[in-house]
Amino acid sequence: MSWSATEIMTLAGKAARGAGAPPAQAARFGQVVVVHLTAARDVAVLSAALEALPEGPILAYPLVLDQALSDAGQGLPAALPGLEQDALLVSFVEALPFQASLQATGTDGLRLRVDLATPRPHGVPRRITGCDGLIAQMTELADRTYVPDSDSSRRVGAGARLTDND
Amino acid sequence: MKDGVDIPLVPLRTPDTVMRLARMGAMFPTRLSFLRTLMRALAADKVEVKCTVWQIDAAGFGHAVYQLRFGGYDYALVAVSTDLPADQRTDRVIATAWDTAYVLYDGVPDAAALARICATAPKQEAARFTEQDLVLSRANKSVRLFAHVVERLRAGHQPDENLVRQTGYLMRTTAVYGNGKFGIADRAVFKDRPGLGGPFMAEMLTVWLIRHFTHDLVEHVGGRPLTRALKRHLGIGNSTGLGMAPFLVNHPVLLNNWMMARETALARVRGQRQINRAQAERLAALAARAAQHLEEWQVPDPDHQKRIDRLRAAWRAAAPLFRAEAFAKGGAIAALFDGSARQSVDLQELLCALVLEPFGDLVDDLADTMSDPFGPQVVPFPDTQTLKQEIEHHALWALSPAYESRAASRQFWYVSAAKQEPRLGNRFDEAGADLESPLDIGRRIKALYADLPDAPEPLTAFLARHPDHMMAATRVAGLSRYPYGEIRDNLIAETCLPIDMLRCKLSFFGASKFDPKSDRWTRITLCQGAPLDDELGNRADDWWLPVFGQ
Repeated sequence: MSWSATEIMTLAGKAARGAGAPPAQAARFGQVVVVHLTAARDVAVLSAALEALPEGPILAYPLVLDQALSDAGQGLPAALPGLEQDALLVSFVEALPFQASLQATGTDGLRLRVDLATPRPHGVPRRITGCDGLIAQMTELADRTYVPDSDSSRRVGAGARLTDND
Repeated sequence: MKDGVDIPLVPLRTPDTVMRLARMGAMFPTRLSFLRTLMRALAADKVEVKCTVWQIDAAGFGHAVYQLRFGGYDYALVAVSTDLPADQRTDRVIATAWDTAYVLYDGVPDAAALARICATAPKQEAARFTEQDLVLSRANKSVRLFAHVVERLRAGHQPDENLVRQTGYLMRTTAVYGNGKFGIADRAVFKDRPGLGGPFMAEMLTVWLIRHFTHDLVEHVGGRPLTRALKRHLGIGNSTGLGMAPFLVNHPVLLNNWMMARETALARVRGQRQINRAQAERLAALAARAAQHLEEWQVPDPDHQKRIDRLRAAWRAAAPLFRAEAFAKGGAIAALFDGSARQSVDLQELLCALVLEPFGDLVDDLADTMSDPFGPQVVPFPDTQTLKQEIEHHALWALSPAYESRAASRQFWYVSAAKQEPRLGNRFDEAGADLESPLDIGRRIKALYADLPDAPEPLTAFLARHPDHMMAATRVAGLSRYPYGEIRDNLIAETCLPIDMLRCKLSFFGASKFDPKSDRWTRITLCQGAPLDDELGNRADDWWLPVFGQ
């Protein structure tokens, strides 16, 4: 079975929320998962990131990257202190809204090379396949964000009747 | 995009004025609405629609295919009609069967593709779709009108005009899914294609083609053709619930771009000091059409009917201002707007839609600015002090409600486990608030503001201690670049009416004849008065606020 990028993004965002990530970080993770999977990177790191919630890279990477973006916006070096290059970090960088990449400086660790005047290129996403285990994990986590159905919810929650014949 | 330097422009209405629920819930379709844009594009491309497959039995069940070439690409609407028991007919997301189901297909479907779609489309969310399937939809009959039209046609007569006028459609779509849902193509697949680049263009194309199918179906079952005037007036209904409301909150850049385009168009037109005689006469004629449209707009809900009645009366009272001679005076449009400040938002928003109509040359280019090709281009704030100042400058609307009161926080948005249907609950009477969807933007901004330290510190250091505030901080960061991106009201207050959000979005689609069934559910009509497939060449763009017999 193949999945659309939008499906994966939405499911991953819900999964992160179901696993305890706040909404903004969860939504960002959804974008990262699409980048990661379409680049055919290691699926296991996505599962591990979800398992690490409510801590781990899903919360940590956005903070470091946002600081680097903010620094870049002020003309300062966009350092990424304390981070080492890994596949998930690369996906986080490539999911930024701007053209950006990682740069190893040798002595000072990683830096973000970013052009704040150039949006990230949006190509046609590939169909996503071969990640059934991750899909199952994300589906289970996403289910935690849904409110169980009840009779009263069913009758009044949507503001419409249960049948319509006009 | 036109060179704005050459166009006289008055200041845009402010976000604090425009982005209020009450005003959003008073919006009307304009010539920038997506269906209008699509019709112009179809006409410019001289698109022809051909029914290439018609495997429908005498009772109206089977499948059909409509083919067209648009912007250099082939597309097909595959329509599947089935026999639906009355007790299963519901417009809710939780439905599991429908009268008809549809797929907008990318290309010309071969026999295998057609067989696949005929098997899967009726299952809707319960099936999986492919990258060749661009849009997935379904529609239920207006049983009363459909049966009446069939009966009359079979008897050799045309249907009762009053019934056609009252209902306005033969079927209602109950979902039009795009952008990757259930495995269909991501929007990115076709976003750069001519004609389909604008927001919801593929969905609008699907809706327009479904309307054709409903005409053909009723004529097939009835055994005779409808008159052209009746067919033109038979649009396609739509039943819309809470699912549309979160979209506006979750896509602030799109919302900004839609509103910005509309407000810029309005500012350009208001900036016209002198219009020519033809434009003045056109405005007068359209104002008269609007009056007739209001007369024909009847809804069962007594409260909403009273609101329509008040608008009718106010529009009639303003009639002297709508004469061609009045419009021809210097600065008439700006004066009309200034004068309307004391009128209802309903009248103001109808006026807004009216005055854009004759000025296509001035405003139609703005349709190209209404998509969101890049996502939010926002740089995070460096420190808490900058964030605090930004909230105080741009988000006072978020700080004013007393969210700790029951009235200001009574409602919560959630997604039901039943087919993931969006719903609203009462926080103090119902379970589930712990799984609340994060649509409470105002409350989140105020909570963030309350936690900001007195002494400035790097924002990321603050967010490391308060990760829950990242969403609010991100939304505030976008306010200066996307000023129309936030609804400036409390979306969890007991006074919040989701129907206002639905009407805003639906008006951008081009909907008219809003027929609210509750404060969170509405029926509407799309494509009423829109050109039929053989009319694109001569009347593609003159169907704003359609009236019977037009």
